[in-house]
Amino acid sequence: MNFLDRFFEKSARNLARSTSRRSLLRGLGGMLVGSAATFPLLPVARAADNGKIKPPQEKGDPTACDYWRYCAIDGYLCSCCGGSYDACPPGAEMSSVTWIGTCRNPVDGRNYVISYNDCCGKSSCGACLCNNDNGDRPLYRSDKANDLNWCLGTNSLVYHCSTAVLIGVAFDQGK
Amino acid sequence: MRSLVVVAALLLYVGSVAAGPVNEARAHSNYQLYCQGCHTPDGTGYKSVPRLKGRVGNYLRIPAGRAYLARVPGAATSILSNKDLAEVLNWIILTFGGDSTPRHFKHYTAQEVGKLRARPLVRVREIREQLHRELGYGEK
Repeated sequence: MNFLDRFFEKSARNLARSTSRRSLLRGLGGMLVGSAATFPLLPVARAADNGKIKPPQEKGDPTACDYWRYCAIDGYLCSCCGGSYDACPPGAEMSSVTWIGTCRNPVDGRNYVISYNDCCGKSSCGACLCNNDNGDRPLYRSDKANDLNWCLGTNSLVYHCSTAVLIGVAFDQGK
Repeated sequence: MRSLVVVAALLLYVGSVAAGPVNEARAHSNYQLYCQGCHTPDGTGYKSVPRLKGRVGNYLRIPAGRAYLARVPGAATSILSNKDLAEVLNWIILTFGGDSTPRHFKHYTAQEVGKLRARPLVRVREIREQLHRELGYGEK
């Protein structure tokens, strides 16, 4: 009995000496934050299959209409609405149905395939309205028209803002 | 014997040229630009956009189905040339068809596609449902 008392007293004192009461908070906090980094807890919509291509060097201001990726964008820039050019703002859902075009990256002079996925489910963002029509076609060519509300692949048809996700390198017809 | 092998190889080569080999990079790029916006990157489709993945090859089991793939508006009225449309169709079938693609799938040729797309479909849904009945799908 005496032995057990001594053993537990010693280990309790050791524990108290080597750790602080706040370390529990630190450990618990680390676990929560760490797990959030490993398993995203927030539902952030990201366009599929982005990541297969090596991202090119880019320059310019992603919140300006003349940023190279926006050569055919028509709508509010998600970069100005709490999202980015390839992620929707929190609370908005990215449409999987989208319109796709190509833009030339001035840094490397190559043409990239850009997917203008709309973010939907929240009322219009209202910031940074851009209307660039590179390759835009009339509505009767609906697959190449940017005047459409492309919130067709989401639960809500309400348009919030537009992204410009880089999904590939355009095939060079000269090859 | 050797000459026979050479002749066989030559025939195979001529056959593949006539059908048009699939240029992976070009076909994928054309898929991205002219199909993927609705059919989604992996051919899953969404709501009213038909699924290609694991299904598209089924249509090749009957001639009307084979014609259908080149006559749907998205294909027939696209700005792709006959050659590029044939290539992207072949690419879609080979890439997304999976088990639905018949083992001896005969590639579309530019000439065949040219003939088929000259008569684009108008009442697509009706024709699709009709095809699905013939293929034993039910209404889906």
